[in-house]
Amino acid sequence: MKKFMQVGAVVCLLATSAFGAPAEKYLHVRVTNTSDKEVVSVNVPLSLAEKVIPAINHGKLNQGKVSIDNADMKDVDLRSILEAVKNSPDGEYVTIESKDQDVRVAKSKGNLVVHVTDKSSKEKKGGQKVDVIIPMSVVNALMPSDKHEIDLVAAIHALSDSGEKLMVTVHDSDDDVKVWVDAESGSNEPSAKE
Amino acid sequence: MLLVGKILLGAVGSVAAMGAVVSSEGFVNVKVHEKKPEGVHLHIIAPVLLMNVGLHFVPRRDLKQAAEQVRPWLPVIDAAVEELKKGDDVQLVEVTGPDQHVKVATHGGSLVVDVTDPEDDVHVSFPLSEIDHAVHEIAAAGPTL
Repeated sequence: MKKFMQVGAVVCLLATSAFGAPAEKYLHVRVTNTSDKEVVSVNVPLSLAEKVIPAINHGKLNQGKVSIDNADMKDVDLRSILEAVKNSPDGEYVTIESKDQDVRVAKSKGNLVVHVTDKSSKEKKGGQKVDVIIPMSVVNALMPSDKHEIDLVAAIHALSDSGEKLMVTVHDSDDDVKVWVDAESGSNEPSAKE
Repeated sequence: MLLVGKILLGAVGSVAAMGAVVSSEGFVNVKVHEKKPEGVHLHIIAPVLLMNVGLHFVPRRDLKQAAEQVRPWLPVIDAAVEELKKGDDVQLVEVTGPDQHVKVATHGGSLVVDVTDPEDDVHVSFPLSEIDHAVHEIAAAGPTL
C-alpha cells in the first residue's frame, strides 16, 4: 500500500510538471509588401526575448529598461495617466476627427485600444490605418513606478501571462504589418483574436 | 595469426573510439549549389570538434575584425543560444520574395539557415550546443582587453 502511494505521488508529480508548465508563447511579426510581393516573418519565443533583452546594453537600453529623458516626456507624468486609465471604466477616451487623420483611444475589455487612420496621403497612396490593442497589464508593466524608464522585460513577462492576441496591424497601400502573440511556433496568419 | 587479429581489433577499436570522440559534438552541414552551368556543388559534413580545433590554427590577425565585432554581443549571443537550446524547434525568420526564400530556424538542436535565390541554393546547419563555443573562440582571437 505504501509503495502504491509512493508510485502515485511520483505519477502526480510528473503529471504536474508535464501539464502544469505554461505553454511557450511566441511574438510574431509579419510584414507583407504588396508591391514587391515579399513577406517577412519573424517568430520570437517570449522566453528568449525575456532572457536576451536584459543582455543588451546599448544606447538607452540597459538591463531590459529603456531610459526616457525628461525632455522626451515634456513633464508629462505618463505613469499617472496610465494609472488613471487603469482605474477607469471601459470607454472611449480620445476621439479626434480631422481633415488629415482620425484618432481613437479607448479602453475595452482590459485592453488599451488605439485606432489611427491617416487620410493625408489617401489620394496619392491610399492612406494608412493603424490598429493597436495592448492588454492593460502589459501597458502597466511597461511603465514602472520610476517614470523615467520603460521596462521591456516586465512587459514581455506580462505579455506571456496574457492571452493570445492580435496586437498591432498597420495597413497602407504598400505594406501590411501584423504583430501578434500566440502559442504557435510557426507564423500562420493570426485569426481574429480580439 | 592471433597477434595480427589482436592488432587489427585494436586498430579498428581505436579508429571507432576516435570517430566517436570526433563526432560527439555533432556535425556542421554546409551545402552550396550554384545553379549556373558548371556551377559549384559543394556538400561538407564536418565534425564540430574539428572545426573548433581548426579555429585554433587560423592566424589571429585574420580573426581580429570578427573578434572586435562579436565581443560586445557575447552576453546577448550566450543568452540567446542558451534559450534556443532549451526551447522547441522554431522558425525564427522567413523571407519569401518572388525569386528568393530565406529561412532561419532551429531544428533538432541545430541552427539551420536556408537560402534559395535564382543563382544559388545554400544550406547551413550548425549544432546550437557548439555555437557559443565557436563564437567565444573567435572573440578570444582579438587583442586582449
